[in-house]
Amino acid sequence: MKRNKTIAAVFAMFATGLLMTATPAFAQSGPDEVVKTAAASVTTVLKSDPGILGNASKLKELIESKLLPNFNFVRMTQLAMGRNWAKASPEQQSALTKEFQTLLVRTYSGALANFKNNTIDYKPLRMAAGETDVTVKTVVNQANGQGIPIDYSLEKGADGSWKAYDIIVAGVSLVTNYRDEFNTVIRDQSVDALIKQLQSKNK
Amino acid sequence: MSRTFIASTVIVSMGVLTLSGCASFRAAAPGDPLEPVNRGIYSFNSTFDHYLLKPIAKGYDAVVPSLVKTGVSNVFQNAADAQSAVSDLLQLKGGKLGDDLGRVVINSTLGFGGIFDHASAMGIERGNEDLGQTLGYWGIGAGPYLVIPFLGPSSLRDAIARYPEGLYDLVSTLSSVPVRNSLMGVRVVDTRVGLFPAEGLMNQAALDRYTFLRSAYLQRRQSLVLDGKRPKDE
Repeated sequence: MKRNKTIAAVFAMFATGLLMTATPAFAQSGPDEVVKTAAASVTTVLKSDPGILGNASKLKELIESKLLPNFNFVRMTQLAMGRNWAKASPEQQSALTKEFQTLLVRTYSGALANFKNNTIDYKPLRMAAGETDVTVKTVVNQANGQGIPIDYSLEKGADGSWKAYDIIVAGVSLVTNYRDEFNTVIRDQSVDALIKQLQSKNK
Repeated sequence: MSRTFIASTVIVSMGVLTLSGCASFRAAAPGDPLEPVNRGIYSFNSTFDHYLLKPIAKGYDAVVPSLVKTGVSNVFQNAADAQSAVSDLLQLKGGKLGDDLGRVVINSTLGFGGIFDHASAMGIERGNEDLGQTLGYWGIGAGPYLVIPFLGPSSLRDAIARYPEGLYDLVSTLSSVPVRNSLMGVRVVDTRVGLFPAEGLMNQAALDRYTFLRSAYLQRRQSLVLDGKRPKDE
């Protein structure tokens, strides 16, 4: 009886060992690496090719290839819509997601110009094993010596990849900010009016 | 006993603050019962800014060499650091008090009256506290959102805290009235110049600037009160 248990334990250890050696082959980057890699790939380009800031289409391409894959825009839009998400039809939901993504990409392109001479510090990631929702904390150091805390909320998807669903700049959450705006428009008008507003903003 | 009382008051009020934070996502106009009045003042402020303040700030930004601009900003920031130290003390935050006092001493001496910010270069961070945050720390909620004529976004709590804070503001307590008024004017312009990047971002990002600014203000203030710790908002 006792022996069986020991054998079972050995098997369990063996299996775990196999898994552990096997994981690196399929390993997905951790949430902090996702943020670091994405930020590094953008800052490298900004440093080597500062002229890109004046080239809207090149900048858009850079953001779309390096940053977009690391964001979960459906989740972001859903959170920004809050309880209004359920009231929107699937067509409205996909239109909202598309327009919201465009708006964020444009805003981000504009913000990059202010960030060109900055360095980023990464705070140590505190994360329990098996956690699927974490915040990666960074501080962006400006040229004037002031640091702006920027936190990224990431969620682990079914495929094991980490994707960001919120950015918190100096305590101001992007998703919460838009939730208040979206709420106001939907409260005073309608979901379609919100889509129209986003579309005209993106024109 | 009184310490336990204070501690529990703080904890309870933090809880209330957090709860009201959660509730604000569901309410129609979160924390803004005065929205119609506030919107009116906001639009007055925007007009004032558009025709007077912003053009002046743009001129200042274009004409004054950046070395001078940085020096001017630093002097005002030095005065703000001294004010922050008072709030550090009132919140019994020893670490921040040491930082702010250290900053003021270093920058006032080595930094020639605050013109150079040696303390930042030495890695001494700003406490960045004020009386509104102090009230928040001791459990007083933000209250309704307010837009103050000429001054912009605030809350009832933060607006009330402005008055006593002005009593120990090194600039507004200067004895020479012309010097004091000029400095206060320059400070407004300096602050406005500092807002250019954020303003550009807001204009790009916001569907409705009033709502955008309100949400950002309330979130930022809550974050400052909690010293950057974020309550989970879902």
